[in-house]
Amino acid sequence: MVLRAGYWKKGLALVLALALTLLGGCQRQPEKHDRQVFAMDTIMTLTVYGDGLTQTAEEVLAELEYEVKWLEGFYSATDPQGDLYRLNAANGEPTEVNNPTASLLREAIELCALTGGALDITAYPAVEAWGFISGDYRVPAAEELAELAQKIDYTRIVLGEETESGRFVSLPAGMEAELGAVAKGKLADTLAGILAACDVHTALLDLGQSTIMAVGAKPDGSPWRIAVQDPAGAGYLGVIELTDLAVGTSGGYQRFFEQDGETYWHILDPATAAPARSGLTSVTVVGPSGLVCDGLSTALFVMGLEEGAQFWRDHPELEIEVLFVTEDGTLYVTPGMDERFSLAQGYEDREVQVLT
Amino acid sequence: MSKNAKIILILLLAAAVLSVGFLLLQREQPASPVARITLDGEVLEEIPLDEVEESYSFTVDSEGGCNTILVEPGRIRVSEADCPDQVCVSQGFISDGTVPVVCLPHKLMIEIVGGGSAFDAAAG
Repeated sequence: MVLRAGYWKKGLALVLALALTLLGGCQRQPEKHDRQVFAMDTIMTLTVYGDGLTQTAEEVLAELEYEVKWLEGFYSATDPQGDLYRLNAANGEPTEVNNPTASLLREAIELCALTGGALDITAYPAVEAWGFISGDYRVPAAEELAELAQKIDYTRIVLGEETESGRFVSLPAGMEAELGAVAKGKLADTLAGILAACDVHTALLDLGQSTIMAVGAKPDGSPWRIAVQDPAGAGYLGVIELTDLAVGTSGGYQRFFEQDGETYWHILDPATAAPARSGLTSVTVVGPSGLVCDGLSTALFVMGLEEGAQFWRDHPELEIEVLFVTEDGTLYVTPGMDERFSLAQGYEDREVQVLT
Repeated sequence: MSKNAKIILILLLAAAVLSVGFLLLQREQPASPVARITLDGEVLEEIPLDEVEESYSFTVDSEGGCNTILVEPGRIRVSEADCPDQVCVSQGFISDGTVPVVCLPHKLMIEIVGGGSAFDAAAG
């Protein structure tokens, strides 16, 4: 075999290039670690990729789980130790709640105000009256509903004196508040903050499907692919691709009961204390804040398509994108949602209208 | 070019070819789906769904109550349960890892590991 020096050099370069490419390909993808947590009346799946700066992935997951349980204890309206339970049982007396609850209450009230009351965290007595807490479902009579609707008014929550460990809050006797519409969203933001502090940049926090936080992109750099439930069936109608964003979904199919051929779902209109019938069957909100996505998915569901779309136009500062599904199965998307949304297999003929 | 250099080059080439082969072999084979059934986080059973030839069902008793699990080739579901909300039953079959079947009152979960999934999570 006789080869001239030039060929050898070229050969050497080729071999080196090949070796380098292979080394690059060899670079280990960060390892996947996940954990399931039963909390806030759902099951959460926390997935992180790779270790933190000073902690292993498992230690990071343990810290996330600890935070979930810790906050769940504070936020709870059903646990006698929970801040909201104590507030609701206080019969109008000022109650000291812990700091995390105090700040979530303040943020939740702001969001209620922003939505003009379409979101109202004081609808709890009505939710209970319909049986959505106990599971003993019933349809309250018109007079009872009118009375319940009277009790729904977030503006009557008084955030009082701040203390070292929290804040005094009071609520008129007979009224009750709960944080179900915003707690998971706030939790998603809190957990994302912990991940950033741990130097973990790739994670997916599925807090029970209604709230999902995508931290960074997938390990291969591509966006996370989040399927969207078809409100009318068991399948997925499409997929949203996202990086570093939260998703909140509210749908009538999530919790409901049927009586005398009528379907009653758990999303109540604060104005009537009855299930919100706005012509929508689900609303999915994508944006940087878990709290905003979670709370607004409920509020926009209550508002309906027209008012909801106007809310989106009026609030560019929230940086949200929305997918509305109407009762006739038509999809309405904001332009930013249109860019990241695609219909799933079997749903290709579904009509998608882009809002302007 | 010296003889030594040639030998080194040939060795390098051989190493490159070997490592390509190694990497190709190492490439992740799409693993087959396994249904993992857990009760409050503890694994009760793992069922390779590809190996199921005939449908069968069995019941899982827990503190909260009992669930009947139906296994079919490639898919699995809760077919009956004595929980109040029946969410686990109404979810129907699952065949990939997108979402698990969960019976919250009984802390029972069926998740599918391996086999991959088209989505990373599901919103709804």
